[in-house]
Amino acid sequence: MNAPRWQSSLRLRLLLATLLALLLALGLAGVMLSRLFDEQVTRQFAQGLQAQLDQLTARLGVDADGRPQVDTRTLSDPRWTRPYSGLYWQIDRVGDRGGDAGPQRGVLRSRSLWDAVLTLPDDTLADGELHRHDLPGPDGAPLLALERSVALDAATGGPRWRLVVAADLAETQAARQRFDRLLALSLGALGLLLALAAWAQVAVGLAPLRTLQQGLAALQDGHRARLDGAVPAEVQPLVDGFNRVLDRNDEVVARARTQAGNLAHAIKTPLAALAQAAHAARRPGADAAALAAQVDEQVALAQRQVDWHLKRARAAAAQGRPGLRAPVAGAAEGLLRVMGRVHAERALDLRADGIAPGLQFAGEAQDLQEMLGNLVDNACKWARTAVQVSATAEGRVLRLVVDDDGPGIAPAQRDAALARGTRLDETVPGSGLGLAIVQELAQLYGGGLALEPSPRGGLRAVLTLPAA
Amino acid sequence: MRLLLVEDEPALREPLREGLAEAGYAVDVAANGRDALHLGLTEPFDAVVLDLGLPQLDGLSVLRRWREAGRMMPVLILTARDAWHEKVAGIDAGADDYLTKPFHHEELLARVRALIRRAQGLASPLLQHGALVLDTRSGRVSVNGQPVVLTALEFRLLAYLMHRPGTVVSRSELTEHLYAQDFDRDSNTIEVFVGRLRRKLPPDSIETVRGLGYRLAAPAAGP
Repeated sequence: MNAPRWQSSLRLRLLLATLLALLLALGLAGVMLSRLFDEQVTRQFAQGLQAQLDQLTARLGVDADGRPQVDTRTLSDPRWTRPYSGLYWQIDRVGDRGGDAGPQRGVLRSRSLWDAVLTLPDDTLADGELHRHDLPGPDGAPLLALERSVALDAATGGPRWRLVVAADLAETQAARQRFDRLLALSLGALGLLLALAAWAQVAVGLAPLRTLQQGLAALQDGHRARLDGAVPAEVQPLVDGFNRVLDRNDEVVARARTQAGNLAHAIKTPLAALAQAAHAARRPGADAAALAAQVDEQVALAQRQVDWHLKRARAAAAQGRPGLRAPVAGAAEGLLRVMGRVHAERALDLRADGIAPGLQFAGEAQDLQEMLGNLVDNACKWARTAVQVSATAEGRVLRLVVDDDGPGIAPAQRDAALARGTRLDETVPGSGLGLAIVQELAQLYGGGLALEPSPRGGLRAVLTLPAA
Repeated sequence: MRLLLVEDEPALREPLREGLAEAGYAVDVAANGRDALHLGLTEPFDAVVLDLGLPQLDGLSVLRRWREAGRMMPVLILTARDAWHEKVAGIDAGADDYLTKPFHHEELLARVRALIRRAQGLASPLLQHGALVLDTRSGRVSVNGQPVVLTALEFRLLAYLMHRPGTVVSRSELTEHLYAQDFDRDSNTIEVFVGRLRRKLPPDSIETVRGLGYRLAAPAAGP
């Protein structure tokens, strides 16, 4: 299954996230700015209109017959007089408290209204109160109207007048549209710039990865042995970790080379001896039985060398690999099951019951089995009636003890027992490598093997190893 | 004594088969796990030599299936290298002993002899029945200390009887345990061999139990 393309690229991920945030921020800013401008423009428009209404109110008078009068010469705006200019005033008679006449629209109107009359919804207004209405103008254009009602001779209870001033909204709408266009344009440009900046940022930010990639390529081509060069602090741990792996690899390869060399060298001797034997066997009257014996001997020698080096190689490979752990109790019990079956007719008392279940060896399980197996095997070969395996941990040191009640080994012979290829007793089968292998393996793990007299009368083998 | 030898490597299998046959065993061979499983389930063997790394079905699985089916013949496993985990797994699967490759032929023979003896509950490699002594290690038979020369089949016949002292062994059982599978079996030849064997042993050593088979007679004389 393939991940979507954006998931597979760091660059795309970063860019997508940035662009998404940019779009969101710019969109929000656009909407807010447009709304603010709208409010501002409308408020200014309404303030202008109120000034006109104030002016009209100030010019209003009543003639002798009680009819309203406005001195139009004193209204300075030329739009008052140009028909359908977009700026209008009108005075309605709302009715009076005396009640000699009903309401009447358009008692007086600006010249710009020509023959049209503005129709405002009927509402009652307190003195000086302002009302705002949206209504269609004489030519159908939307208007904003402000109204106020006044009584010119309140004392006599004369009629009340409604003064209306209205202006065309088209101008403000045009201004708004202009503003929105400009806003969109500038926000777009800003967005583009920010996107470019984000792209550049991602490119610059990811550049060390490219350097790393080139370093790896150079490593693969063999131009370089390690990753080096300046990298940002965030990438440095990666480079350090990789270099550690490389160092460890080098170490392993070097060790493998040494071991292969050692093994080849060790095998050379038996091979040379075999060649010699073959040469001797070609002579007339050669003894076939002697040849067979020589071949047997040399094959056994070569086999010992191979076994020995294989074990060493495995233990060496386990060295320095962190996190390896092998439970001791399970290994000991498994080995005792094997011994119990193999030595069934001797009915040996085999015990590993005192081992705490949490005890663990910090290394390969196979190596633990190898060491403990050889010790237990050895103990079972010599034991008269019983073999006991016990284990304790003190801090980071694991102490494994194998006791038997056999004849034991005389102090003078203990060193010889640990020497490679020595068999103290040729009547018991074995390669003569067992104890030496255990010691060598234990030493590779930083531990050791000691042979002591056992309280049970036989041999006690004490194996010290790193605990996990 | 009839053995099953399971080993997939011909270079190892043939010399082993010859060596075991020379030592007086009737040997059947299987070169893969499936054949081994089948033979072990259907034929009576006195012991099995089982290699663990086998094609088609690995040795451990073969062993487990035998044991699950109730086949309890002693099994010696051959483990590659000195790998203890293989030994533990083998013993846990029901093996009776192990031998690490490479091994000396004598070591294999000794282990097989010991396994067969153990399976019959006999402790000593020297089988003794009255004046009759059979040394399983050397394959020598003596009566009152005097060596008796036997052919391979006569030896096999006597060894089988001496591993089961006092038990009546039928002619067909003898046929199954004295010959490998591919051998042309004829139960009349058993009579012939019993006749020859009787002539070489003290009189009345081998009883005929009418309708049932043969049995080693109760010891006539102690040494």
